[in-house]
Amino acid sequence: MARTHDAQSALKALANHAELILDAHLNRGNRIPDTDENLSALETLEHHRLIWRFRGEEDQDPNLKKELIHLLVHVSGAQRRRWASEQVFDLWQSLEGLFRDYHEAKKRAAFVDIERLEAAIRECLAEIIDDIRSATEGFVSYLNSGFGYVTDLRLRIIENEKAIERAGKLNSLFDSFNIRELAEQAGNDPFLKRLLLKHLPAALEEGRQNLAYALNQLRVMLVQMREDQRLSKLIGAFEDHFLNSPGYIPSIADLDLEACPPALNNPKPFPLVAYGDIYDPASDQELIELAQSARSQPRQEAAPKEPERLTSIENDLDGHAETAEQDPLDELVQQLLDMVVSGNIGAGEISAHDTLLASSLDATPATFLRAVEAQVDALPPEDRRRVELAYDAMPDSLYPDNLYIQDITLRQPNVERV
Amino acid sequence: MSANPLFERTVSTLLAGEVICEVSNDDLNNYLLLPENQQQVASFLGQLNRTLRRTGTGEAWVCAYEDLATSEAKEAVRQQFSLVANHLEPLVHFLRLIMAVEGSQRPILPGSLVQESVILDRLSSVPSLEAKLRSLVETQFFRTKKTDSAGQIRTVMTNLEKAGYLKSHGTTGSVYRATGKWSWLYDVMTFIETHEGIQTSDPEDEPQMRLA
Repeated sequence: MARTHDAQSALKALANHAELILDAHLNRGNRIPDTDENLSALETLEHHRLIWRFRGEEDQDPNLKKELIHLLVHVSGAQRRRWASEQVFDLWQSLEGLFRDYHEAKKRAAFVDIERLEAAIRECLAEIIDDIRSATEGFVSYLNSGFGYVTDLRLRIIENEKAIERAGKLNSLFDSFNIRELAEQAGNDPFLKRLLLKHLPAALEEGRQNLAYALNQLRVMLVQMREDQRLSKLIGAFEDHFLNSPGYIPSIADLDLEACPPALNNPKPFPLVAYGDIYDPASDQELIELAQSARSQPRQEAAPKEPERLTSIENDLDGHAETAEQDPLDELVQQLLDMVVSGNIGAGEISAHDTLLASSLDATPATFLRAVEAQVDALPPEDRRRVELAYDAMPDSLYPDNLYIQDITLRQPNVERV
Repeated sequence: MSANPLFERTVSTLLAGEVICEVSNDDLNNYLLLPENQQQVASFLGQLNRTLRRTGTGEAWVCAYEDLATSEAKEAVRQQFSLVANHLEPLVHFLRLIMAVEGSQRPILPGSLVQESVILDRLSSVPSLEAKLRSLVETQFFRTKKTDSAGQIRTVMTNLEKAGYLKSHGTTGSVYRATGKWSWLYDVMTFIETHEGIQTSDPEDEPQMRLA
């Protein structure tokens, strides 16, 4: 009695939460979201052992049990749609067999058999038409879900490829149907002729259209997923690279940019600025109005306040400290030297000119190189010993003893270069 | 000759170095979808040694130099590159943070929704993500003195909006939509990946270990 009662309450639980369960089955890869509003439903289903999850993974969404999934597959007709191409193929084979028998029965004038076979052919054709419709509609559910229930991108791509393969098979199956030949065998039965020459071609045409649309959308989705995968790998590669090479900044100093890659071809902003035309009398009226309104508007900048009269003198015990803003050029040079002194340079050496180019600092190379040299000279002796300078110089064409310094390479002595 | 406000806004936006896409400037994007308008804009820009280009995925419009033979143009390209190169690391970390928050391998794409509340909700339950956010706001691009996650996220979003990567969506001010500038950034990253020889790690490409 208790067992019957338990079974009844399990079936009632399924009925009460039918919507949630079906949604999990059709759209969420057989998982029920573990949210506050689903809490009571999850407790009930767990009580009846209709869902499961691993101990220690309570933060994961629970899964529907295998037995429940089998039931859902059956009642939702999903299995039939999934393997529709096989189903339709079998039916088509049976139909061809039935037509052979029908032809034979007609030859022998076996009227009872003719009637029986006609009924069987009608039933088989009706089933084929029904299956063609449901098969192609099945692909629409893939498009709606976007395979969102598969979280891993690679697995999602595989699912998508499988769906495309199934749709392709179905399409080639439709192409293999030879309706005209069957219609010729159908004899003079108007009902059979209508089924074969009107309803079946119409269902096939509709199925082909749906399938073509689904195939196209599935391919678009596949392209998008592959692009997502490429970008995901790209971002991961950069993250790893930044992690393995601290302070890494990409550089294009080695490119002469004669053939600039499109991705790099980014011009400087070019602001379009214009003034009111005071030389054109046609604009006078507008300009006068503008000038008047500008005069009547209160000035945005507040007039400097008069200092308040001092009523008493207080001595500031802490003293007043004023912090001066650091020169960005000095700051950059300091950062560069800190990196060299600490040995935190990926390739073992670093070019001062490249550093300037990689920064957004608006300074000439000469000023920057001079600042680097001065700052190196000002280093404490212990730090100075850790920095070695190499000058990239070019002799003057007229006075070869005069050298033009083009770059300074900073490195630590006795450190192996990469 | 009568003025054409859409043309004016399109060329001034492009010349200002901004990216035009469906999210950032819907009307200008629609304007540029017509071939004759593209022709007009390109011909105007051509007189300034510039031209109209689309990003790799075709989702955004940008302005580019037509002829890079001059040293000024080359220097400008180098300067613009150094701007993005300097901010690349924080942008990559931001992208990874969002991918971790959403628990998917799908990167931010033009049109994607980014919600402060969703990020905050996830951050509060995963301390490692909160640590990632803290290190993100220590970089120059996202620097802030705020110590609470909500304030830090707000600063990150505001800075990305200022840089043209996000656009505020709706009236709450905490929901954003990704602009086409991400597709431009991915193009730049793809170039750097090839040019600098950055290895894309793919577990399936690596040779499998053999059993002895």
